Amino acid sequence: MSFEELEHTADVKMRVRAATLEDLFSEAGRALMQVMYGRPGKDGQTRRITVRGHDLESLMHAFLSELLFITEVDGLVISGADVRIHQGILDGEVRGEPFSIDAHNEGRGVKGISYSGLSIVHDQEYYILDVIFDV
Amino acid sequence: MTMLPGIQRMGECEWQVPVGYVPGMRVPGIFFLSEALAGTLEEGAIQQLANVATMPGIVAHSLAMPDIHWGYGFPIGGVAGFSLDEGVISPGGVGFDINCGVRLLSTPLKEDDLWKRRELVERLFRAVPTGVGGKSTLRLSGRELDGMLLEGSAWAVREGYGIDEDILLCEQNGCMKEADTASVSQKARQRGMPQSGTLGSGNHFLEVQVVSEVYHPEAARVFGIFPGQICIMIHCGSRGLGHQVCTDHLHTLEAATRKYQIMLPDRQLACAPIDSPEGRAYFGAMAASANYAWANRQVIMHYTRKVMEDLYGIPYQEMHMVYDVAHNVAKIEEHVVGGKRMKVCVHRKGATRAFGPGAPDLPAGYASVGQPVIIPGSMGTPSFLLHGTATAMEKTFGSTCHGAGRVMSRTQAKKRLTGKEVRDALGKEGIIVRAPSDAAIADEAPEVYKPSIEVVRVVHEVGLSRLVARFEPLGVIKG
Repeated sequence: MSFEELEHTADVKMRVRAATLEDLFSEAGRALMQVMYGRPGKDGQTRRITVRGHDLESLMHAFLSELLFITEVDGLVISGADVRIHQGILDGEVRGEPFSIDAHNEGRGVKGISYSGLSIVHDQEYYILDVIFDV
Repeated sequence: MTMLPGIQRMGECEWQVPVGYVPGMRVPGIFFLSEALAGTLEEGAIQQLANVATMPGIVAHSLAMPDIHWGYGFPIGGVAGFSLDEGVISPGGVGFDINCGVRLLSTPLKEDDLWKRRELVERLFRAVPTGVGGKSTLRLSGRELDGMLLEGSAWAVREGYGIDEDILLCEQNGCMKEADTASVSQKARQRGMPQSGTLGSGNHFLEVQVVSEVYHPEAARVFGIFPGQICIMIHCGSRGLGHQVCTDHLHTLEAATRKYQIMLPDRQLACAPIDSPEGRAYFGAMAASANYAWANRQVIMHYTRKVMEDLYGIPYQEMHMVYDVAHNVAKIEEHVVGGKRMKVCVHRKGATRAFGPGAPDLPAGYASVGQPVIIPGSMGTPSFLLHGTATAMEKTFGSTCHGAGRVMSRTQAKKRLTGKEVRDALGKEGIIVRAPSDAAIADEAPEVYKPSIEVVRVVHEVGLSRLVARFEPLGVIKG
């Protein structure tokens, strides 16, 4: 599993790779935290999550938008997710640690997850997600 | 000079993207750009300008201002009007930060009066919560949040965060009457409650500035601006509440796009007919978010006035607001299209309303000059005050640019500059910067933006708005 930041002038574009679809969602969550706080969280607390989508892209959009809500409202800096995906429903748990102004101050606020340029492809080895965060 | 292929030159700074540039365009695209800025134009941005031209009910042209750049949905700097009968409304034409905007506060101080400059910046930084995780000192009840959402600036003034004249000095008097709290989700409310009165992060700022040049003395006098004057500029939006409203309705409208069988080249342009249940719900929630943003800037301006009152003994009432404009919003306005006056739903995404003299919704005192247009610079670069024009009314639904526009990605910026280097360089120019982290400073270094002077020069030359005054930064609070 990995993620990297790609060139984008106005916003932040991330490319995320993972061997399984479930891991792709988890890693995408970590990528979002990297942008927002300068690093993903550490394990400690957990929280349930359920989102729906009518295709893989809309499911990813709903998932990352939900993480944005969780991190802002509950102050949870996410370290990963254990999720199951079945018939357009993603269900599971996210892990993370409480936000601390001293430990999580090297990022920038993300306003939203863009649908523009959001794509998920599967090559021989990996699922690959491209996603743009509006900052 | 180099211009992207397929684009036609219409004038010195005016370019046309013809129908057919992408399949399904209903009207041509028009954008305004000087030769000096042509090199910064991204193909992706023109593609997005053309994509907007494919949307149902678009009238006249799909437009972009000289700060055009590659965004999501609409290009940043994009403007489009849609007929109320056949047209659509789209969060892709407004953005996540609904009513991100700018407010300018004047003071009676001159630059020489501004002693204790470092202390001023420090106190402003402490008075206005900023950055990721910055929490408000307000403790709003659900009812108070409703007040913000329904009444905007007027709510804040009634609660003691300003004076009556402030309300009239906002675009739309700081309130869109179409606000509908029922379309604002619980989630949006949960995000909005603890963030009211906070600046946020990214390109948002609060800046202490000095009027370094007056280009149009008569208009400056009308706006209460004089050379050497200290002013304060506030740039922020609707915070998590607006972001969540955009996210929520993007999902609803994505489904609506399929329901109404609208073909779109980009999912972020998800939309619905203006007069459909989904379109009305988005419009009502967006208007409520816009009101939240106006109230938010009002509260931040109040904190600022209190600090100035405390530190320099200036009476609160003697710090007059110049104006407040929105950058990201959709509104129903009357415009002349093809010789006929009609109501249109104007989307402005990273663009500023620039109504000319005698237009509706101008404060009485400004009617002869036109609406003040406030163009914030990027950190460490000048900002500008302009006025709206009749030309803008004819060409761009009364719209102009909104700022500089990035030219360097954040990945490049980080490789090139550290926050400390940027801070030191600005310090040498006499600009004090205060931010929650150095990362925030490196991200927004002056070099990563187009020169705002060139962007403003283009709108001045084309006549979409005319220059009134220039402001140099002295102290910056970064989000």
